[in-house]
Amino acid sequence: MNVLRARVATTAAVAAGLALTMAACAPGGGGSKTSDEPSTVSTDITSAGDVTLKLTDFWGSAEGKWIEQVIADFEKKYPNVTIKRTTEDWGQLNSTLNLQLQDDDGPDIATANNGWQSLGTLAKGGLVLNLDPYVKAYGWDKTVPTTIARQNQFTTDFKTMGSGSWFSTPMARTSLIGLYYNADKLKKLGIDPPKTLDELEADAAKAKAAGEVPFEYGSLDGSTSVLLGLQAVLANKDKLNDYIYDDPSVKASDVAMTDAVTTVKKWADAGWFPKDFAGIDYQTAVANFVGGQGVFRWEYTGSLGLDAKQQGHFGYVQLPQASGKTVGVGAAPGAMVVSSKSKHPDVAAAFLDYLMSPAAGQAAVDLGLVPALSPDVTVPASSLSLTGESAAAKTLDSDDGYVPYFDWSSPTMLDTLGQNLQLVFAGKMTPDKFTSAVDADRDAFLSGQS
Amino acid sequence: MSSLARSTSARTEAGAPASVPGAAPSAPAVRRRSLRRRRRWVGLAFAALPLGIYGLVVLVPLVQSIQYSFYQWDGVSTPSWVGVQNYVTFLTDPVLRSTFSHVLVLIGFFALLPIALGLLSAALLTRGQQHGMAIYRWIFFLPQVMTTVVIALVFKRIYAPDGPLNQALRAVGLGSLARTWLGDFTWALPALGLIGTWVTFGFCMVLFISGTSAIAPELYEAARVDGAGPVREFFAITLPGLRGQLAIALTLTITAALRTFDLVWITTHGGPGTSTLTPAVALYKAAFQNPQVGLAAAIGVVMAVLCLAVALVITRVSERD
Repeated sequence: MNVLRARVATTAAVAAGLALTMAACAPGGGGSKTSDEPSTVSTDITSAGDVTLKLTDFWGSAEGKWIEQVIADFEKKYPNVTIKRTTEDWGQLNSTLNLQLQDDDGPDIATANNGWQSLGTLAKGGLVLNLDPYVKAYGWDKTVPTTIARQNQFTTDFKTMGSGSWFSTPMARTSLIGLYYNADKLKKLGIDPPKTLDELEADAAKAKAAGEVPFEYGSLDGSTSVLLGLQAVLANKDKLNDYIYDDPSVKASDVAMTDAVTTVKKWADAGWFPKDFAGIDYQTAVANFVGGQGVFRWEYTGSLGLDAKQQGHFGYVQLPQASGKTVGVGAAPGAMVVSSKSKHPDVAAAFLDYLMSPAAGQAAVDLGLVPALSPDVTVPASSLSLTGESAAAKTLDSDDGYVPYFDWSSPTMLDTLGQNLQLVFAGKMTPDKFTSAVDADRDAFLSGQS
Repeated sequence: MSSLARSTSARTEAGAPASVPGAAPSAPAVRRRSLRRRRRWVGLAFAALPLGIYGLVVLVPLVQSIQYSFYQWDGVSTPSWVGVQNYVTFLTDPVLRSTFSHVLVLIGFFALLPIALGLLSAALLTRGQQHGMAIYRWIFFLPQVMTTVVIALVFKRIYAPDGPLNQALRAVGLGSLARTWLGDFTWALPALGLIGTWVTFGFCMVLFISGTSAIAPELYEAARVDGAGPVREFFAITLPGLRGQLAIALTLTITAALRTFDLVWITTHGGPGTSTLTPAVALYKAAFQNPQVGLAAAIGVVMAVLCLAVALVITRVSERD
């Protein structure tokens, strides 16, 4: 009897506790403080005293060596500054960065991912600094091409990406989507690297006739580089930028999405992909291509992991549009942010500025990475792929021809593209329906934003 | 426990005279009662630390998840209250709803098929004493102790376009059956399911063999004397005797099917299309890839409730006479 009563009392207490917790305020977070803009800024680092900054990034191997080199150079330039670097893998950092930036002991500088999913969310939550005062102080708005600058901007009402204040900076490196080719195979087939899309299709047909696989590709985990690479060759640059930067008046059919999907499907049906490409995952396709299977591959720069010797056997071209102008999917491999909790934002901003310097660009080239914002770098002639990649970056810088990754248009876009592309390959979806699915995804996101 | 019982009985003995109306409680009775109360507090004090830790790592996150599920929240900025909208989305969105039918297929492969196979092999193996039984059991049980990630990677190889499965099919002249198993809209889900069958089959078999050996041999002798054949023997004695083990096997395998994540994540990411998407994968995507923490919490809550319901129903049914 007494025991029962005690049990009832306990249950009631627990229930009451639960109810109280539930009724308490909404789940926590970074709060809603917006526009953390430092009031006074200084570009004088030498007199800042001894400063230690914490940097968290996701770079390994050559990229890791690059950032260490740049840190060492920066510390040599400013002996009063020490930068402590932590590295985490990309997925890990991406899913925990918002927590790290809320921590008082968190990093001062970090690599975020552009777009709404990471950078937009951090900026909206007031976790990263609005960098506008430093843009003025260092003149970044004059040195960085507009199409790259937009990738770091959000309006301060956080309804639009691609205009407004800077919340991150790019760096003297870039990551593009373009066409890699196996130089030995092209030589054997007696064809020159293609200079236009038409030439590429003619070359692919020739390769197929010679018993080669024209494009090494696998769709098992929804790889979309072929689609997005083609779209950049076909689409109107300004419209594509506007589409990704949340302009609801532009539709996916205005940015050559249907054309790109139709072309990819045509290539698949022509047998230009490996026979069982639906069962080949991304890693296997990359390994196959580097191992000598396939003649061409649409790929993100830096993702093939070519060593110095292999770089002499693979070339890279950024196919121009029919107009002759070059448009390419490209962005800095990471958006550099400064934490709102940083005690030394001036020094952090100086480091971001240094990351965009020609010296950092040359350091990238020396490690075999694609440089950007530094037109005068010297590329080792032995590296065929790096020569092509650097030339592409230089053209895109001067043509102001960058378009951002399409999946920045909504947090779920990458899944939508990958899943529906698989449906198109299986003949379960038409290119038209694909394009409407893309619009539906983005429109659903936009309506949730406002 | 026993001290608690003793103090309770002590109270009833002393409490009876004390409760006479109008009479003041006797001094010894008061002392005993306060002693009892103190003992109770001492017990609670001892349990406080574990209870506190349990509350912190289990109950608080549980309550938080339930709370999150009523908000639209990107994990960083101010959340907004949306009521049951997240639950409605989970149950009405065609893609998210399809995850339920995928889980039903997986339950067939993770639970029903292995249990049927486990029963069959247990019945066959326990009828005679073969040499090296322990080794067979060990081999069949092995998948159960392997990490799912390793298993998924191994099967990804096996199912690859030029993997061992297709090679074997081609080698015996069944090349027309060879296909891209994990990239095929029809076959990807059954292919994943069969991995689950392979994993849980050994577990079910070992469980049933140990259960069968606990059944009194006299029952089998009696059945044989009555002229029952192996089939009759199985249905009349083995199966009823394994009710407890069946309940355990069903509970563990069905909840495992409901929670399937790593297998799908490593092999297909939910593709091709969304044909192998499970609630757990959808949850992960919502929580960590797309900032929709509220939706992720709602999926988690529904799955937790389903797991609890499955466990309760199975326990109730198996304990009924």
